[in-house]
Amino acid sequence: MDKSDIPQGTLDLLILKVAALGPIHGYAIAQRLQQVSRDVLQVQQGSLYPALHRLENKGFLAAEWRESDTGREAKFYRLTAKGKKQLKTEADNWDRLIEAVGLVMKMPGGEGV
Amino acid sequence: MNWFRRVLQKKRQEAQLQKELQEHLERQAADYMRSGMSEADARRKARLMFGGVEQVKEECRDARGTRWLESMLQDLRFAARTLRKSPGFAFAAIGTLALGIGASTSIFSVTDAVLLRPLPYPNPQQIVRVWEQAPDGHRMNLANANFEDFRAQNNTFTHLAAYGDLLTSISGGREPMRARVAFVSSGFFEVLGIEPFRGRAFAAEEHRPHGAPAAIVSYSYWQRYLGGATDLSSFRLKLLGGVYPVIGVMPVQFDFPRGVAVWIPNELVPDLGSRTAHNWRGIGRVRYGITVAQARANLSTIAHRIKEQYGKEVDLNDAAMVPLADAMVGDVRTALLILSGAVGLLLLVACVNVAALLLARTSARRKELAVRAALGAGRLRLIQHFLAESFVLSFAGGLLGILLAVLAIRALPAILPANLPRQECIAINTSVLLFALGATLAVAVSLGLFAAWRAVRGDVQKALAAGSRTHTGGAASHRFRGLLVTGEIAITLLILIGAGLLGRSFIRLISTTPGFRQSNLITIQFSLPTPLDFHQNEATIGRQIQLLDDLVTRLRAIPGVRNLGLAGAMPVAAGDDLADGDFLILNGQKPPANFDEWDRIAQNHSQVGHALYAVAGRGYFRTLDIPLIRGRMFGVEDGVTSPNVAVISQALARQRWPNQDPIGQTIEYGNMDGNLKPLTIVGIVGDVRARGLDLPPDQPIIYVDYRQRGMNLNSSPTILMRSSAPAVEIVSAARKIFHDLAPDVPVKFSTFADEMGGWLADRRFLLLLVGAFAAAALLLAAVGIYGVVAFSVTRRTQEIGIRMAIGAERQDVLRLVVGEGARLAIIGIGIGIVASFVITRLLSSLLFGISATDPLTFAAVAVLLSFVALLASYIPARRAARVDPVVALRYE
Repeated sequence: MDKSDIPQGTLDLLILKVAALGPIHGYAIAQRLQQVSRDVLQVQQGSLYPALHRLENKGFLAAEWRESDTGREAKFYRLTAKGKKQLKTEADNWDRLIEAVGLVMKMPGGEGV
Repeated sequence: MNWFRRVLQKKRQEAQLQKELQEHLERQAADYMRSGMSEADARRKARLMFGGVEQVKEECRDARGTRWLESMLQDLRFAARTLRKSPGFAFAAIGTLALGIGASTSIFSVTDAVLLRPLPYPNPQQIVRVWEQAPDGHRMNLANANFEDFRAQNNTFTHLAAYGDLLTSISGGREPMRARVAFVSSGFFEVLGIEPFRGRAFAAEEHRPHGAPAAIVSYSYWQRYLGGATDLSSFRLKLLGGVYPVIGVMPVQFDFPRGVAVWIPNELVPDLGSRTAHNWRGIGRVRYGITVAQARANLSTIAHRIKEQYGKEVDLNDAAMVPLADAMVGDVRTALLILSGAVGLLLLVACVNVAALLLARTSARRKELAVRAALGAGRLRLIQHFLAESFVLSFAGGLLGILLAVLAIRALPAILPANLPRQECIAINTSVLLFALGATLAVAVSLGLFAAWRAVRGDVQKALAAGSRTHTGGAASHRFRGLLVTGEIAITLLILIGAGLLGRSFIRLISTTPGFRQSNLITIQFSLPTPLDFHQNEATIGRQIQLLDDLVTRLRAIPGVRNLGLAGAMPVAAGDDLADGDFLILNGQKPPANFDEWDRIAQNHSQVGHALYAVAGRGYFRTLDIPLIRGRMFGVEDGVTSPNVAVISQALARQRWPNQDPIGQTIEYGNMDGNLKPLTIVGIVGDVRARGLDLPPDQPIIYVDYRQRGMNLNSSPTILMRSSAPAVEIVSAARKIFHDLAPDVPVKFSTFADEMGGWLADRRFLLLLVGAFAAAALLLAAVGIYGVVAFSVTRRTQEIGIRMAIGAERQDVLRLVVGEGARLAIIGIGIGIVASFVITRLLSSLLFGISATDPLTFAAVAVLLSFVALLASYIPARRAARVDPVVALRYE
């Protein structure tokens, strides 16, 4: 199966969604995204961290250094109350977008499916 | 301030970022190793998958939102470092800005104290000055009867008050002194809203004719002459022939009218009931919610009513009103606005100069900038860099400027004219500091944006290519710099012309002859115990004349005194002390027996004249060298019992008796001194600019003899002595005579030249400051021209080398280089002259004897500026002419 780049602007939504499941560090987020999407979503690892920092800066995520499974300290991100609200808004937006795009794509004619 | 904390924790931030990314790489590598890769391969693959670590780090930093501040701090540090590396540039730029900011801050502190700050009274915007207005529109002080009507009939003022003040001697304190005493009506302190801080204000029984005498003293009089005593009950002040118990002390900052030491109720001054004796200045406090315009309309109505009711008996037909703050400032406003304008131009010149310096620096740094841009510095980032540099420069300049202003303000009192109101408030305070900060910020931002605009404009690639040959920038940048300097020359010319016009006026003024000889004149000003009563009785006058006669006789005997004259006011230097008023030409008619009759005769306009009233005495004209035109001067034969005589000025003879002989005419001038005896004109003397050098010489004057009329309240007795001996010796002898004959009389010894110095002080102040600004601007312009030409010489070294190699003479090179400076100067001077034609009009009211477009001043200034410009270009030109062609050709 081909691998897809994540559409612009949706990375934030995905990160928030993953972080909603519980405190998690950057590498695990990347792994989780890949696994859950059955390897379709290829996160540009380099773009993951600026996004994390941006979300932390906006107050959607809170970070904490604590010991991880490897015994070393890692930075764990956790969804804040503000982040939860943001996640809901963005998820709703996403649903609406998908629906709308779906409606358009179901139009008869052209080279549609 | 979360981001702020994060900036401070920058080191920890960085370490954590590093650790976080490292952790990611470690885990990735570990995963790869688990799938069977060797450690080295796993690590490499992990890195490859991750992308550029440093780039990610940079993006993370950006994402944190503290980036701009961090880079700002970095830029500021960098700017400070680069400026340290070019101390010459930094020194010139900071010094120039300090000069501009310091000068404008100093002038602002004066403007702020005098013009901008509200008066130190509660709700000062509601206090107004009030005048009667004549049909021709000129404002007159209030006549008491009219004032009473204004006060009783208005419904727009909470209080309306009348006041006046005069210089007199006050004793009863530690020692006698000459000071200002103010006569104030009831409501005076209520208008201003200030109460005595010790004791009480005047009570109702003190505010009525023949009421209980009482005096309120100023804080400084209380401190110096009453020892700051808590108990005032023992103090009795002797002044104007009366004894006044001290009942109150005003607070330290209260100073109205300016310089007054003692306030007494004005009801003590006898009132003649006249509606044309404009003796009182008026102030009022407008009711809350009423505008000045409404209050004025209200008084106008009352004035119309008075006019209707009294007809010819009054000379008002309207009322005038101005907020007190504006009225106090008066003529000073123009001078201060002109100073502000001049200093603003100076600041502009300073900025342009620094802009030109920055431009030179920018073009020299084009290559560096191009490299930075090529390495990925964004346009905004570069702009930020320039802002940082100009902030460092401007704030260093601003700080130094404030220091300069502190010093300047300390030195100011020496040159400030004494008549400048509220000058004691001049200080570096919050608003002055805010001004300095504002000016600094404005300079910083405009210079920074300017430099950035010049630098990042255009194609970086091209700049890199162009910069590869020499270290200089394009010709466009150099042309632009020339443009800046041209503007600078134009502004400098404007300030120079302003200073030139003021200077020429000043010279004209001091070389104007007042109508008498001013050199070697010693002056003695003193106050006599003059009774308040307008109708002085003969016994008082007799005593006064006796004292004056004794003083004059003994002073005349001092060795070295050649001539001596007594006057009721010092002409010119204290010309404002001279009173003026209407007189009657009797034409053989019987003199009026009382003032009602006086008023009746005055209704026939052909019998009324107007002149200055000057008390003089035997020897006065001879002492001052005022020529006798016809008739005689005052003589020994003129005494109390002989017929009263008058000497008039030539101008009055010409104006009032054009086809007649004024000698032998009788006039009536009792309204000035309360003495209704008619005066017979016995002589005509030359004209004198008695009220001031800046006024026309044809002032009509009537001189009367003190031995017949005495000195009245309107007089400030002054003895003028022409001597051949040193002034010090004469003064010490005179001091002793005064001590013997009149120990209670305060005396001020001086020379006429010194007194004139005081009279000229405000003009000198303006001239000094505008002159200083002009000199500073000239210096900056010279530096600016030098900078451009010198830079051009460096840029064209090779060209000059080639020219010389193919046979150009040193002369040709000189001409080439100087020509460049001359071109800038000529264009700048042209623009400046056109601008000056328009702008110097604003100076008109301050000029004397020349027009605002005086061709001589314009020409002289243009020549001066051209000369400086040529000199400034000659220095680099000489260097260029000495260039060795071989060195020049190799020059890069």
